[in-house]
Amino acid sequence: MRKTILILTILLTSASLSANGFVTQFINKYGAEDRPLTNVNIGKTMLDKMAANTVDEELKNAFRELKSIRIVSSENAKDSRYYFEKANELVKEEFSDYEEMVSVNERSSRVSVWMKRGDKNVQELILISLDEESHLSIITVSGKIDLETIAKLSGTLKNEPTLTEEKPENK
Amino acid sequence: MTAKDDKHIGILLQKYWDCDTTLAEEQELRDFFSHSDLPAAWQPYAPLFAYTREEQSLSLSEGFDERLRAAMEKETTREENYITIRIFAPLLRVAASLLLIVGLGISIFFISRQNNNPWFVETYGDPKIAIKDATYALEKLSLALQTTEEASLQTIRVIDDLNIDWSALDSIVTEEITADSLEAVTQDRDTLNIGTFIPGGKKEKNI
Repeated sequence: MRKTILILTILLTSASLSANGFVTQFINKYGAEDRPLTNVNIGKTMLDKMAANTVDEELKNAFRELKSIRIVSSENAKDSRYYFEKANELVKEEFSDYEEMVSVNERSSRVSVWMKRGDKNVQELILISLDEESHLSIITVSGKIDLETIAKLSGTLKNEPTLTEEKPENK
Repeated sequence: MTAKDDKHIGILLQKYWDCDTTLAEEQELRDFFSHSDLPAAWQPYAPLFAYTREEQSLSLSEGFDERLRAAMEKETTREENYITIRIFAPLLRVAASLLLIVGLGISIFFISRQNNNPWFVETYGDPKIAIKDATYALEKLSLALQTTEEASLQTIRVIDDLNIDWSALDSIVTEEITADSLEAVTQDRDTLNIGTFIPGGKKEKNI
């Protein structure tokens, strides 16, 4: 009986933790008050509103298909390097169901992208980057991710997207 | 008391010390020593037989049987209670375990929800402000994907520059590599273009 209780406790705990996602686990595990992090969460409701307000069709479609975008960043170079290493450790140790898609190691910047392919409509992607100024960005995106469309977006995104006046979306 | 009597009592006493007396002889001794006018020679033995006589005359106090019966009934009731608990013990154990598991589950749920609240809250209420962060995220992602594409294409260009004789390679294909798989490799080389994304591609330089 004691074994059963122990196993159930472990299962409940691990289920609870895995549901939290990479960003939450990362902040819970490594976030420290003396190493401040900025966290931005954009959920489905906000993505739908943005899709309704965006003129560019490709960007509109990208927003519509996504379920959430979460960003964790740090502008302190020393903290960023520390968090970059820890984020890569975490994804390798505890997110083994993600496969590494991209790994760029340059003198000035480092980027790794990990992806978990679930069903057709829900994929999850983790980007961990350290830019030229040693600023950390951890970005997680979930939803239907069309890599080809996203790869083409950078041209569009260089200019700030044109927004329409906010209108309630017709469903 | 005659000398004959003295002699008889002396024999009985000797038998008594030797534990050879009968019940009747012991009763005779007790009767003898109960007399108040005992000769001085026998008086030291009188207290012993007086004590024996007193002990034998002890009887149970009034209501002893009732008290004993009541005590026994009480014991039986307690035993019955114990049996009831013993019968339900496995069920109680299961119930306690379930209660513990449910309690743990609820605790973990609330603790995780409490911990996660700061991280799951939507950061912005205005889509016009949120779009800056959303486009920043997508741009980062897009650039990473484009860098990988470029790295993959660069690798292919390098391979092209090597002027490998693919037909010569075809002829040295071993039995393990089927003709179909090699054809697929050749097709990949021929048809790859800018818009094709290669998952798992890596670019590593100046490390």
